[in-house]
Amino acid sequence: MTSDTALPPAPGAQAPAPATETQRRWARQHSIGAVWETWGITAVLVVLLAASPLLSSDFLTVANLQSVLRESAYLGIVAAAMTLAVMNDTFDLSVGGQLALVSVTTLMGYAAGGTGLAVLVAVVTGVACGAVNGALVTAMRVPPFVATLGMLFVFRGVAYVLTQHGPKALPYSEIGSPFVKIGGLNLAGIPLPFLIMVAFYGAIWVLLRRTATGRRILAFGSSPEAARFCGISVHRIRMLIFVVIGFSVGVAALTYVSRVWTADGAAQDGFELRVIAAVVLGGTSLKGGKGTLIGTFSAVLLVGVLNDLLVSSGVDASYQRIVLGCVLITALAIDGLRTRFAAPGSFARVLPRRRREAPAP
Amino acid sequence: MTTAAPERGARAAAPRARLSRAIESAPLAVPLVLIAVVLTVATDRFLSVDNLTNVVVAAGIVAIPGLAMTLCIAMGEFDLSVGSTVSLTGAVTCTWIVGGHPAGVAMLVGLLVGAAVGLLNGLVVTKLGVTPFIATLATLVIVRGVSLAYTGGRDAIVSSSTLKFLAAGRVFGVPMPVVLTAVTALAAWWMVNRTRFGRWVCAIGSNREAARMSGLPVDRVRTTVYVIVGVAGGIWGLLISSQLQKGSGQLGLGFELDAITVVVIGGTSLLGGRASVVGTLLGAVLIETIRNGLNLLNTPPAYQRISIGLLLVVALTVQAMRRNAPAEALDDV
Repeated sequence: MTSDTALPPAPGAQAPAPATETQRRWARQHSIGAVWETWGITAVLVVLLAASPLLSSDFLTVANLQSVLRESAYLGIVAAAMTLAVMNDTFDLSVGGQLALVSVTTLMGYAAGGTGLAVLVAVVTGVACGAVNGALVTAMRVPPFVATLGMLFVFRGVAYVLTQHGPKALPYSEIGSPFVKIGGLNLAGIPLPFLIMVAFYGAIWVLLRRTATGRRILAFGSSPEAARFCGISVHRIRMLIFVVIGFSVGVAALTYVSRVWTADGAAQDGFELRVIAAVVLGGTSLKGGKGTLIGTFSAVLLVGVLNDLLVSSGVDASYQRIVLGCVLITALAIDGLRTRFAAPGSFARVLPRRRREAPAP
Repeated sequence: MTTAAPERGARAAAPRARLSRAIESAPLAVPLVLIAVVLTVATDRFLSVDNLTNVVVAAGIVAIPGLAMTLCIAMGEFDLSVGSTVSLTGAVTCTWIVGGHPAGVAMLVGLLVGAAVGLLNGLVVTKLGVTPFIATLATLVIVRGVSLAYTGGRDAIVSSSTLKFLAAGRVFGVPMPVVLTAVTALAAWWMVNRTRFGRWVCAIGSNREAARMSGLPVDRVRTTVYVIVGVAGGIWGLLISSQLQKGSGQLGLGFELDAITVVVIGGTSLLGGRASVVGTLLGAVLIETIRNGLNLLNTPPAYQRISIGLLLVVALTVQAMRRNAPAEALDDV
C-alpha cells in the first residue's frame, strides 16, 4: 500500500477505484465496518444514555453519574492495560488476585506510614506481581494463560495469609486523611478516580500509538512469526506488558481501596473475568493485533451504566448476571459480523449480488 | 509439539510411542510417591484405610469433569462454565426432589440440564463463532445467574437416600464415586485411543483448519465435546449435591479452575492435539493427596490455595521446558 501509483481497475470492477492513495486510505479508514469497529460500542453507550430516563428516572442526576464514574474507575484502569495484553495475544488472569493482594498491602502500608507509604507500597506491590508473571512467561516459557491462572491462586492465597486474623480496614478516624481523598474527592464535579482513569488511558494511548514499543505490541499480536522475523523480541515486550498490568493494578487498587476502606483475600472475586469481558466488549480481538482503547473505555462505562440501571430499576442480582452475560455473547456475535464488514467496500460487495452475475462487456 | 494422525509405518513405532507416553506421565508418579511418603511419616492418620478412601473418592469426583475437560483441552479449547453447571444441576435436582418427584427422575432432569448447558456452549461457539474462552466465560456468568434465580438465593435441602447413595453408597465395598470414575475413565480411554471420534478430537486440536479441509465434521465434533463436558459437569453437580444433601446457587464457585488444573497437571498440553487420560487421573490423585495432606497437617485454607497455584505453575514450567528443550529452543530468540 506504499506505492504511489494507483492500481488499474480490474476488468468488471464494481466500484470505481478512488484516484489517489490518500483517497483510498480515507475510504479504508472510513468504511462502515472500520468506523463501527472503533466507535460502535461508544454509539451503543450514547444510545443507552439517551434511553436511560425511560428506564430509570433517577439515573441522570449528578450524584448518580458521579457514582457510576467512580465505580467504573478501577475496572477501567486495569482494562486499559489488559487491552495491551489482549492486542498482544496474551491474557493476565491473575489481576483479581493482584487487586486483592495490592489492596491488602496498601492498607498495611497506610497503617505503617500514612498516605505516602501507602501509594508507594501499592505501586511497588503491583509492579512486583507483574514482574513475577512476566518472568514466568518469558524466562520460564510458561504459556501466559496458565501461568497467570496459577499466579491467581498464589496472589489471592498470599492475600488470605496476610488477612488471616481478620480483614485489613481503615479506622473511621481516618476519614479526613488525604488517602481517603483519592477515592472520594471531586474536582470540578468530576470524581478523582475517573480523572486518574482518563489520564491512564491517555498514557496508554501514547504508548500504543506514538511509540515504537506500541507498534511492536500490535505487530506481535497480528503475526507473531512476522514480528519475530523483523527482530522484535517477544520476551521484552511481554515483560513490559505484564509489568504495565501490575502497575495499573497498583493504581486501580488505590482508587478502589480508598473508597471501600477494607480488603481481604476474597476482595473482588472474579475481577479478571470482568476486565477481560470489558476489553472484548470494546472490540479488541482475542486473536490479537487489533483493538481500540476508546472501545475499552466505552465498554467499561457501558457495563457500569448497565449495572447501575439494573440496580436502580430493582432487578434482582441474579438476573443482572444473566443480562450481562447475554450482552457479552451478543457483542461477540456482532464482532463476527463486524470483522466481515471491516474491509473497505465489503458492505457494497454483500448487497448487490446480481451485479456480479451480469456478463462483463 | 503435537502428534499428527499416524501415517503408514507408524504402526511399527506404536509400542515405542506408547512407552514414551508412559514415561511422560511418570514425572507425576514421582512427586505423588514422595508426598505420600512424607505424609506417612509426618502424620499418623494418612496411611489409614479410611483416609486413603477419602483421597480416592475426592480424586474420583474431580476426575470425572477432568476427563471430559481433557477432551476439550485436547481439542485446543476450554470450557469455563463447568462450575456453574455444577450449581445449576444440583439446584434443579434438589428442587425437583423437594417438589416431590422421584429422585431418579430428578437426577435425570439434572443431567439433561447439564447437557443443555453444554449444547448451548457448543452452539454459541460453532454457530455464532465466538471464541470458546469468552463464550464459556459468558455462559459461566449466565448459568450462575439462572441457578441463583432458580433457587431464589435459598438452599434446597433434601434428604433422599437415592441421591445420597451416589456419593456415599458402596458397590461390593467399593465407594460409588470410584465406580463412576472407573467407568468414566475406561470410556474416556477407549474414546481417545480406540475410536474415530477421539482421533477427530485430537486432529481438530492439532490443526482445526486442516481437519476441516480433510472433511471432518468439525462443528459437530466440537458441539459433541461441549455436551460431554456439560454432562460431566452435571454428574459432578449430582455428586456434590449428594455429598452436601443440598442444592444451591452458591455451589461450585471456582470449580472450573479445579477441573482445568487437574488436566494441565496431568500433562495434557494446552496447545491441543493430545489427550492423556492416565495423566488426568494421576493429576486428580496428586491434587487431592496434597489437599488431604494439608488438611491433616492443619494448614489454613489460604496455604492450600497457594500450594495448588504453585503446583500448577511448576507443572507448567516443567511442561514448557520439556517442550522447548530440543526443537523449539531457537524459536523464541
